Amino acid sequence: MATTSRVARPRVAVAKFASCDGCQLTFLDLEDQLLEIVSRFDIVEFPEATSRRSPGPYDIVFIEGSISAPDHVDQIKELRKQARILVTIGACATAGGIQAVRNWSDHEAFRAAIYEHPEWVESLATATPVSEHVKVDAELRGCPIDGDQLLELLTAVLVGRRPQIRDEAVCRECKRKGVVCLVVASGEACMGPVTTSGCNALCPTYGRGCFGCFGPRANANAKSWSADLLRSGRPPDEVWRLFAGFTGYAEPFRSVVTELGKTRG
Amino acid sequence: MEVSGAVITTPAPSQTAAARQWFIARHDLGSLIDALRDSGRRVIGPTVREGAIVYDDIASAADMPAGWRDEQSAGHYRLERRSDDHLFGYTVGPTSWKRFTFPPNLPIATAHRGASVAFEQPEPVLQPMAFIGVRACEIAALGICDRVFLGGQFTDEDFRARRSAALIVAVQCTTSSSTCFCTSMGTGPEVRGGYDILLTEIGEGFVVQAGSPEGAAIVGRLPTRRPTHAESGAAVDNVEATRTRIGEVMPIAGIDERLKLQLDNPRWGVVAERCVECGNCTMSCPTCFCTSVMERSDMEGRLATTERQWDSCFDVNFAKVAGGDFRARPRDRYRQWLTHKFSTWMDQFGSMGCVGCGRCITWCPAHIDVREELIAIAPPIPPVVRPVAVDPVAASPGEYSLARLASIKPETEDTTTLSLTDVDPAFLKGRPGQFVMIALPAFPAVPISISRFRANGIDLTIRAVGPTSTALTNLHPGAKVGVRGPLGTFWPIEDAYGRHAVVVAGGVGLSPLHGLVDALVANHDRFESISLFYGTRTPEDQLFRDDLSDWTSSKLIDVAVTVDRAGPEWKGRVGVVTTLFDKILWDCSKVTAFVVGPERMMQASVQGLISKGVPADRIVISMERHMECGIGLCGHCQMAGRFVCKDGPVFRLNELGELFNREGI
Repeated sequence: MATTSRVARPRVAVAKFASCDGCQLTFLDLEDQLLEIVSRFDIVEFPEATSRRSPGPYDIVFIEGSISAPDHVDQIKELRKQARILVTIGACATAGGIQAVRNWSDHEAFRAAIYEHPEWVESLATATPVSEHVKVDAELRGCPIDGDQLLELLTAVLVGRRPQIRDEAVCRECKRKGVVCLVVASGEACMGPVTTSGCNALCPTYGRGCFGCFGPRANANAKSWSADLLRSGRPPDEVWRLFAGFTGYAEPFRSVVTELGKTRG
Repeated sequence: MEVSGAVITTPAPSQTAAARQWFIARHDLGSLIDALRDSGRRVIGPTVREGAIVYDDIASAADMPAGWRDEQSAGHYRLERRSDDHLFGYTVGPTSWKRFTFPPNLPIATAHRGASVAFEQPEPVLQPMAFIGVRACEIAALGICDRVFLGGQFTDEDFRARRSAALIVAVQCTTSSSTCFCTSMGTGPEVRGGYDILLTEIGEGFVVQAGSPEGAAIVGRLPTRRPTHAESGAAVDNVEATRTRIGEVMPIAGIDERLKLQLDNPRWGVVAERCVECGNCTMSCPTCFCTSVMERSDMEGRLATTERQWDSCFDVNFAKVAGGDFRARPRDRYRQWLTHKFSTWMDQFGSMGCVGCGRCITWCPAHIDVREELIAIAPPIPPVVRPVAVDPVAASPGEYSLARLASIKPETEDTTTLSLTDVDPAFLKGRPGQFVMIALPAFPAVPISISRFRANGIDLTIRAVGPTSTALTNLHPGAKVGVRGPLGTFWPIEDAYGRHAVVVAGGVGLSPLHGLVDALVANHDRFESISLFYGTRTPEDQLFRDDLSDWTSSKLIDVAVTVDRAGPEWKGRVGVVTTLFDKILWDCSKVTAFVVGPERMMQASVQGLISKGVPADRIVISMERHMECGIGLCGHCQMAGRFVCKDGPVFRLNELGELFNREGI
């Protein structure tokens, strides 16, 4: 965080770019804490929750969504100016999101194939994370973000400390929970070893390999893990999809996706 | 080898009170779980969940994995059906007992900040537990945890409470996985202690033993009978068969020291490229104990809880401080883990941190087998078989064995090599460095080093300096001589395995070293390098000129010669032998030197080697003294407390200590 000095009742804005609104809903899903949150934070701008609008400056701005359209670029720069602390939330804002798959594709061909009048649609050839455009003070990862991590971040801002958010493999959460490794015991494809934790191993707990929605963890050895998935007999296309899926535009997943894309055709 | 449970009530006669055994039928094992639960214990044991055998709460024998086996290899685990209904027919799974003695998440403090500040520790409140199916390696792991958490100045009282609340029902392994290496770590497969009740699964049930009064009391409440001879025997055989199946899969001897020498091995970087640093090895390990604490608070920061969580040294933040990361590279972190488990743990806790359960191998999604890495990084030192001197022939001073002089070869003006044949086979089994007493009728016997071992005889290189040596060098082929031997100590060639072997010879001193050089060259791949530094007074004084030339051209040994003085035709080095030491460019702590020559040359050489850093116990010398009997009975050759003929002539420098280089000894 750029600064963690305490503010009496911080003015909070929640804004969005190209995204599904699911991360914003995580605020509203904090039902047990919601009253306390609104009593301690002055949520002045939150189109998903209220039609009341308030201009900046804001103490904290939460940004959902990737930068995917020409006007997003100016808007995010303006929001940055209005924000004392800028926090990106979710896979789209932090990594480009699912829509960043288009970064490896022919944008014009897609537009022509989908829209009857592609010239009416204003979109950029790439979907990029907010951090490619402005300085970001904190990130909450995931698709969607985790309520506990959001609460921890809000608490840390109020108390004036660094949020205690770990950057470790999802595997750690599986092991602490006692979830049997799906890779080893079932041969599932799983992004857990290279994906940062925070979801409390949600998918593996229900027998699904990790989709990597929290994105690469620090020092993720994506090169080794993709090679291992290929060695275990998975087709390159499947491995490409695993890495490209939610946070593929974030390094080092991006390098793997680019590399596998060459053989994918 | 298993037997069907024929009901015979006579007890096995070999039973002592300590090894008292019972038999319980498999279908009656539920009574054990009932008895434990009835006594208020939470019973935790193996059960099938998520495609694996995990340790979890079990309510009855029906929860246990009847008729399952597991298949394990690096990064691979599958459950399969057995052809029988054995309850413990598998090895260890993903869970380790540390989950219950050292929980993955544990609140360790609460704190309040209001008018005043307060910190509080929760009191451990625990239901008594019973662990069912604890394997030998797991008992060893609990023992390691005891040393870590309870063995030092500071203790973990939560661990103590949980550990003492747990009754241990151990199971001997009657099956194994490819990932098992308890046999190498000395922890299994047989259970040697640390249990309350011990089960060994055989055909129709279990041979039961009690390891504590409480265990015995519980067993007393079960529907048991005495086992038959065959049942008791099957229990032993099944465990022994497991030991044989596992084999000695990893050469572990000295691994802690071996690893310490390999901190810069490039293999750390190679394995780190494969390692995904998920930390599954450390999380699955039954002894890894690293944790971090997480603070949680209410929004005002007035009420906070501190929770301890399992952490891992593979975490990128694990060794981080404000200014940076002490173990920034993946190879640093991999090295930290492996050296801790197999080396530095020993320094801290007096044992290895590994019990050979193989969980870190099976549950590594990157298929890394810690055994392969250990062997590649710190290869086993080849077992050194220290030869024992052969019993000499004709040991008594008046007794001689006959040998025939096969050929004679002049070496220098006054030195001759006699090749003896038709010798007693004992001479052929002698070792380089040993000597013989050789005699002619009417001449006093003289000690002569064996300069070479041939297939059918030995060579003695003799300088004609007295009546006997002159008479010997004047003999003709076919002559018979009397020999006693081989006598004395020999060159400890094995001490130079894996090291730089340096042979330093002066003048006729090359004679007792010739056999050593032959042996070094014959085993050249066991040494880092082999060198011979040979100095004589003049070029004409060089012995074994043909051999010197053969050795040089073999390229297996680096031969350097020097002379004290020479005519203009000499193109080689001039100077004493120590001037050749400037060729020693290796780490001298890895040198083993063998030195023979005139006393002053040996003194100078030893001094030169020591000043270069060769350890005293790695400098081996052969001493000359007046020897008559050759067996330590006549007293001539004494050097203080040593008989040079019997305790020598080959000594390590540190064996002689002050005796070497001291006048008048």
